Amino acid sequence: MASNTIDSSIKTTGWEFVTKTVDKRALIKNQKPDPREELAELEAQGEVKVIHITEENQPITVETLLGRTKRIPTNKLWHHKSCGQCGNIPGYPTSIMWFMNKLGLEYLDETHQTSCTAWNYHGSGTSNLVALASVAVRNWHRAYETGYFPLIHCGTSFGNYKEMRNLLIEHKDLRDEVRRIMHKVGRELVIPEEIVHYSEWLHVLRDRVAAMRVYDVSNIVTTVHPACHVWKLVPEDVIYDPAVYGGERPAPTTAILLELGAQVADYSTWYDCCGFGFRHILTEREFSRSFSLERKIKVMVEEAHSDVAITQDTGCTTTLDKNQWIGKAHGYNYDLPVIADVQFAALAAGADPYKVVQIQWHTSGWQKLLDKMGIDWRASKDAYEAYLEELRAGKEPDQLYIPPVEQPV
Amino acid sequence: MSHDKDTVTHLRLNPDDVGQQDAQSLLDAIQSDLRYEEVIHGCLNCGVCSGSCPSHRFFDYSPRIVVQTVLSGDAEAVKGMMDEYIWACAQCYTCAMRCPFHNSPGGLVMIMREVAVWRGMEAVHRLLKPYGRVLLKVLSIGNQLTPDMIQPDFFPDWGPKIPWSSTDLAIKRKAIPVYTLQVTTSAWRVSPETSYELYSIYEETGVFRLIEEIDPNLYEVVADMVEDLRDMVESAR
Ligand code: SF4
Ligand code: SF4
Repeated sequence: MASNTIDSSIKTTGWEFVTKTVDKRALIKNQKPDPREELAELEAQGEVKVIHITEENQPITVETLLGRTKRIPTNKLWHHKSCGQCGNIPGYPTSIMWFMNKLGLEYLDETHQTSCTAWNYHGSGTSNLVALASVAVRNWHRAYETGYFPLIHCGTSFGNYKEMRNLLIEHKDLRDEVRRIMHKVGRELVIPEEIVHYSEWLHVLRDRVAAMRVYDVSNIVTTVHPACHVWKLVPEDVIYDPAVYGGERPAPTTAILLELGAQVADYSTWYDCCGFGFRHILTEREFSRSFSLERKIKVMVEEAHSDVAITQDTGCTTTLDKNQWIGKAHGYNYDLPVIADVQFAALAAGADPYKVVQIQWHTSGWQKLLDKMGIDWRASKDAYEAYLEELRAGKEPDQLYIPPVEQPV
Repeated sequence: MSHDKDTVTHLRLNPDDVGQQDAQSLLDAIQSDLRYEEVIHGCLNCGVCSGSCPSHRFFDYSPRIVVQTVLSGDAEAVKGMMDEYIWACAQCYTCAMRCPFHNSPGGLVMIMREVAVWRGMEAVHRLLKPYGRVLLKVLSIGNQLTPDMIQPDFFPDWGPKIPWSSTDLAIKRKAIPVYTLQVTTSAWRVSPETSYELYSIYEETGVFRLIEEIDPNLYEVVADMVEDLRDMVESAR
């Protein structure tokens, strides 16, 4: 079962055929111009400013779906946080920062960021193109003026920003309108050289991250849920690697798990969405519950005998994790733990499950996974509860990081 | 807010058209959107999009039918879809990944949703009702989900562990070792200056105007918050 090639016993009806003959071949045959080349031309004309990846960012070069190269900056990064992660899965950003500290990388996490606002947009339609592009450029410009390169934590922000980047490059009238609005808020039109997702950062540093592993995870069977807005929304510059599923599926997340020595099991609905649906998680809950259980969790457990579902995005982690309990009403007792790739890596590297990985916010039964990994989560829980008491008594909280421009009040 | 006619029809919806529900004008608004040519390049009627569409599996909904109906030019049929049908789409973009014509039916649905909201179509008011809390957050601080939104009464189907996430929240958030996250009413601390800039974006792009039309009560709350924050930021300058 564990493999990095497509398991011949599990077929995704028609999907490999379609991937090869429609998606990839058609995309390769009818390649759109490279937006980065067009961006360089606009910069040369003085039309836009570009946030460049410099030597200080210590970039690592990878190949994308179309065989183009993409440089992933690894250092001096501006955290473009995710509201769903920070609000509901706080161990997601803390695990990223924990690794950056361990690796001695420089970063900036501050309060002058808004979300991309795209979850609300996709769910409710209560925004518009100019507003989305302006929100994107405002955040990019904030990163630009600090001298740090934006690292996008959320998959929807990542997809949305790629879309906005492409539309801004293609349409002068959109640029003009966004520039006008930026001037009103004292900012300029800037566009990053690359839009970079944290899973890409983790991917290119996977050898250094895996070298920090302290727990043997070779007995852990993982199943990966690739996030739709990461690999389907603007698919051209997603990282593919011949060593991962023969280059037929996105490489990030699967590759770090393999590097850590975990088993990665294939399952027939790997390409399906999680059921989040943007509005469905709030207003069509029956869809979210049924889809996540029927098309993802059930298949991961029954076909792949998975110990843990590994995610790379925000809404998917929440949807897959939170919707399992209600399945009991229909006799679904899977209780499959759901955590992000960076959280799994942090656990394997010895991060404190409660204090750093913040596993206690996850709903589905992660205890058996940690037991199987050999992690003493009970000691971590005791220490956490004692720490909560200290905080109640007025102790100042411990910090992985304090923004340089602001101090805790 | 800019009222330049060419800009508003091409880039975003015309503020003067709020409430206008004439079928042909709805279709015109969809097809004149800057993104329309990016998302529709023709259609084979092959059904590949519907074949892997999660919403097609669970609802009476087909992206192939959405694309075919818009391309047919039948404005009344398109209008009929905008009121309810297109809201089944889960915005996963599997269709866009697979369409041999490089169409993005999910992207077309987004243009249609924007027009439906802007024109105040009947179902929109009902569909957006559960969004009140998200809208308030996104409009006031630019966060869409905050720790204090995870409440057992709102997510009863998420099970018995949810009350843990909503009790003693301030201390549990303080125990997250990242300064910006040690808050309960926003996902991270957002500086007043940042919210102030966001309000200017919403004002300039017609988002506030839209909210005023579709949910006047919510708008009133947001308008008060905007005014307070403006006073605060401007007096600090
Ligand atoms: S996959 Fe593309 S061409 Fe085929 S029906 Fe859907 S939109 Fe039309
Ligand atoms: S984006 Fe919408 S139409 Fe396209 S596959 Fe997903 S749910 Fe179906």
